[in-house]
Amino acid sequence: MNNLANNTLSMYFLREWQLMFRNTSSLIQPLTFFIIIALLFPFSLPAESALLQRIGGGVIWVSAVLATMLSLESMFHSDYHDGTLEQMLIHPRSLPLAMLGKSLAQWSATGLILSLFSPILCLTFNIPTEQIWVLFGGLLLGTPSLTLIGAIGAALTVTLRRGGVLIAIVILPLYIPILIFGSGMLNQVAQGLEVTSQFYALAAILALAITLAPFAIAAALKVTIN
Amino acid sequence: MHSPDTLSASGLSCTRGDNTLFAGLDLSVSDGECLHVTGPNGSGKTSLLRIIAGINVSETGSLSWNTENTASNIKFYRSSAYIAHKDGLKNELTAIENLRYYQQLEGKVNEQRLDDTLARLKILQCADLATQQLSFGQRRRLAFARLLVSEFSLWILDEPFTGIDKAGREVIETLCIEHLDNHGLIVMTHHQSLTNSKLNQYRTELRLGAA
Repeated sequence: MNNLANNTLSMYFLREWQLMFRNTSSLIQPLTFFIIIALLFPFSLPAESALLQRIGGGVIWVSAVLATMLSLESMFHSDYHDGTLEQMLIHPRSLPLAMLGKSLAQWSATGLILSLFSPILCLTFNIPTEQIWVLFGGLLLGTPSLTLIGAIGAALTVTLRRGGVLIAIVILPLYIPILIFGSGMLNQVAQGLEVTSQFYALAAILALAITLAPFAIAAALKVTIN
Repeated sequence: MHSPDTLSASGLSCTRGDNTLFAGLDLSVSDGECLHVTGPNGSGKTSLLRIIAGINVSETGSLSWNTENTASNIKFYRSSAYIAHKDGLKNELTAIENLRYYQQLEGKVNEQRLDDTLARLKILQCADLATQQLSFGQRRRLAFARLLVSEFSLWILDEPFTGIDKAGREVIETLCIEHLDNHGLIVMTHHQSLTNSKLNQYRTELRLGAA
């Protein structure tokens, strides 16, 4: 336990969780947003079961992207305003590791919860079971990359008063490959094709994001806070 | 007890837009010395402190800690502490949780020391209150408590006496004097004169901006 509390990665992870539990709205908001977007589609589209089934996976992916992006705006906000971010920058502990811990905590409060909830949303779109598993697996692999890449944008815009729009413009293009692989899988599986290659592609993006994004986040923070 | 440390800088400069706040600034602080940075508002006092703390980078010149450059120098960052206007406290956490976090960052766990530190700053009664409920002065004291969770040799204090009552000021002055007597270094800004203060005999003044 002592060792765990001493490790930079787990320390920041646990601290982030502690803070999120004190401020539960940050836990509930992304999930609520995710569910609301996804549920608005069936209402606004023709009530054809076949149509909903075809677009359902894509809608859930887009909702996950939007919900993640919404949560990112506040990721560094309070840290910046209360001065803890400055203290992180000048602390001898590794900033990239700290940022990895923080991003993973952020993901577990947004992407992980969204992924776990997605099978229930699939039912509203009448998506067949084998596609539900593919969607669930895809979200589980894809959402950590969304958070890690998005955190770079959040770090770049932390000093701006209305950074949200800018995050969207900077980050959305980088989300497109993940979106293509993620929702492409569902079309493949609907046609009875293999989806292993898409899974590998998502896993490769995740491996890149985990190894490179923390350094990019740290560098972005150093530049913006200066 | 730590070995005597020195901080020295040469040729520091800072510009804001087209405005040069200071240029070619040299300074040196050795153990037991308090560098008091003075100057009118906007003369670059906080900018200088942020450069020393390592948050901002000086456009020219260099800073050294015991003859080694401070940039990405772990030894320097481990032995310096910066208390800014923003106090670095989380509203969601209680006073002692905030302090415990800073202690953990230094890789130490010592509950007794946390209590002692809060008691020294006379805010032990607030230990379990949410930081949000503390008064401004109590928050400032809590921010200063961070200086004592580990053996920092260099204290960088930005307006340490703002918003603090007379008793609090005395507590902090006493801490500073103890720190200086213990071979510590302090760099601080304070808009008022320190000539009536007990810190006066340790003080060297650095005046920024046109007088």
